[in-house]
Amino acid sequence: MAGGTSGSADLLPHIQLFLRQVLHDLSNGDQVAVSIPVYKPREYPLETNKNCLTIFEETTKYEEISCNSKGGSQRLVAMLRVLQIAEGLLQQNRRATKRDIYYTDPALLKGRLDQSINDICSLFHCSRSSLNLVASSKGLVTGQLCYFEEGRLINCSKRNSTSTGLPVPVHMNEVSNISSGAEFILLVEKETVFQRLTNDKFCAKNRCILLTGKGYPDVATRSFLRRLVDELHLPVYGLMDGDPYGLDILSIYRFGSLTMAYDAEVLAVPTIRWLGIFLSDLGTYGLPESCLLHLSKQDVKKADALLSRSYLQYLAPVWWAKLAEFRHRGVKLEIEAVSAASFSLLADQYIPSKIRGQCYV
Amino acid sequence: MAMVQERAMVLADDADPSEVRRRIECLVKLFLKSLMAEKDVAIRPLSLVCRKDRNTGVDGDGIHLMDGTYEKDFTMKKCGKSFFRVWKVMETCYHLLGIGKQLTQRELFYKILSSSGSYVTGQNQVNSAIQDAVAVLLCTRRSLGILASSKGLVVGRLVIEEHDGDTIDCSNLGSSAHPISADMNMRERFYSDARYILVIEKDAIFQRLVEERFFLKVPCIIITGKGFPDLASRALLHRLHQEFPSLPIFALVDWNPAGLAIICTYKFGSIKMGLEAPRYVCDVKWLGLRNQDALTYVPDNAFTSLTNRDVTQARSLLASKMLQVYLNSTWCCSCFDILENQL
Repeated sequence: MAGGTSGSADLLPHIQLFLRQVLHDLSNGDQVAVSIPVYKPREYPLETNKNCLTIFEETTKYEEISCNSKGGSQRLVAMLRVLQIAEGLLQQNRRATKRDIYYTDPALLKGRLDQSINDICSLFHCSRSSLNLVASSKGLVTGQLCYFEEGRLINCSKRNSTSTGLPVPVHMNEVSNISSGAEFILLVEKETVFQRLTNDKFCAKNRCILLTGKGYPDVATRSFLRRLVDELHLPVYGLMDGDPYGLDILSIYRFGSLTMAYDAEVLAVPTIRWLGIFLSDLGTYGLPESCLLHLSKQDVKKADALLSRSYLQYLAPVWWAKLAEFRHRGVKLEIEAVSAASFSLLADQYIPSKIRGQCYV
Repeated sequence: MAMVQERAMVLADDADPSEVRRRIECLVKLFLKSLMAEKDVAIRPLSLVCRKDRNTGVDGDGIHLMDGTYEKDFTMKKCGKSFFRVWKVMETCYHLLGIGKQLTQRELFYKILSSSGSYVTGQNQVNSAIQDAVAVLLCTRRSLGILASSKGLVVGRLVIEEHDGDTIDCSNLGSSAHPISADMNMRERFYSDARYILVIEKDAIFQRLVEERFFLKVPCIIITGKGFPDLASRALLHRLHQEFPSLPIFALVDWNPAGLAIICTYKFGSIKMGLEAPRYVCDVKWLGLRNQDALTYVPDNAFTSLTNRDVTQARSLLASKMLQVYLNSTWCCSCFDILENQL
């Protein structure tokens, strides 16, 4: 059975209808089978009416899970369990995080929770947040930004004196009245770089907002960035390590991720630019050659996987070329290498001169 | 257990930059003196505090390291490069402190890589060299100019007034919590009307309590170290304990060896951070999960079996000095129970 499309308002009745159907089949002694739509990356991106390119499409294929196989029945049971919890949350108008759901039944949901949630979202064509499933956030933000969260004023610039930023807000629908005097948003991959920049008082010297997802970004950070871009219309510069993982993280911010393809349109930030770090920076900023590290076997595998993504080659050819250059030379370059040349090079020279000189791709 | 002789406890100081630089300068002078000696010219070995179990002592305040030392000798087999790395770390820190800057561990790695690439191959080596520098100079990592990050969170009936006048009301942060600052400068002032301090092991449980605004129902301050606590979280807990000595501290951890190990870290400290941790120990009470709770409240299907790693951890805890010497028998018995029931 298929789920049909749902906005958050009519999601609850759809879920209840679905569950009733399952009960009906069970009580009749029929096989319970569920057909989940399958997503895959497109060969070529398609322009949607939301003014952005989507790189994922729903195929006409359906994946059928039923109780015929052991794996199928466990997957089905896990999915129904999560659906039961989601239905309860929607009924009581409460929210829960993935971890809350996991600990209701760890033996069953171990290793299956993400898949169950993705199955449900694909089946009902809804987003995770419409299931009242909130992400806990690990991202950090600081800089020239003020907003209201649940009626309280949050001023991100006040935290500049210490090295920690503010946590990215979790409930995006409770954030309002975003205002900022910044000229750009700087997105950094790693928390250590974030610390380095706050320690050097980067946001006070340059009018900007500093944001990090601490590695692979969670949904809260991505939706926060998207919201900032939609409301403030500021340019976004990504400061990533010059390695396959850095580019992978950047492309998740820009295009979305395959595992959460149904949310990609809402979370993608197509205007993001890659500020660095590139191989050409070695010469321009006098960075020592010894800071180039060799690509490990896993790095090479990852690089090859990224380079084979056709949408990357089509939509971001310069990014693709830069990664190919790293791969060809078998090296990678981390942001911290900039500090090796001189302590304040990153905050005082590297980033400002790159932005002024438009040396981003 | 007989005390053979009174041995002095050794602690790393949170020294001023000028004091740290002075200590490094002394070491350099001694090194040069032995190089320029008229006879018995030698490369002076470094003398480090021994950070192994045999050099620990336990008293009412927890684990601490004693004055046992060992030498890192340049001429010894396989010690040459690590000897060099410790000196390189000290050189970089000396320079850092002179210009008033701080570096992260990764940046320190790159600094050493760029100037002496053949002596270092990985981040771990630099991390060990930093620990060795702490053991030689007896100064905390923070006073050497190494930036640390902190992962702990605090929420609840606590108002923090920072030195620049900003106040943060931890009961009014919405669904998020206040990240514990890694900058342990202790210049903040605290105000609180809480009755308890609650220490939580897991971030998930902490988030659940924040979401339910638990501190509005029970007046308390809630802290989590998100697993094994880092130094900044322990420092905050200690500071709160000093400011509000009448507040009992309760810990809520999982019923497994890791949970017990976490409480022990808060309560006694750890050997690895033995030079810096003893100043942050607190009297933490084990609220839960206890044996009786596990059998009363928890349904059978929520139990999972102990992994090999859990068993090893439980055995090492039981064998450790802290539980033996401290003779806190209820804790020992709980540990045995966990082990025997294999739950």
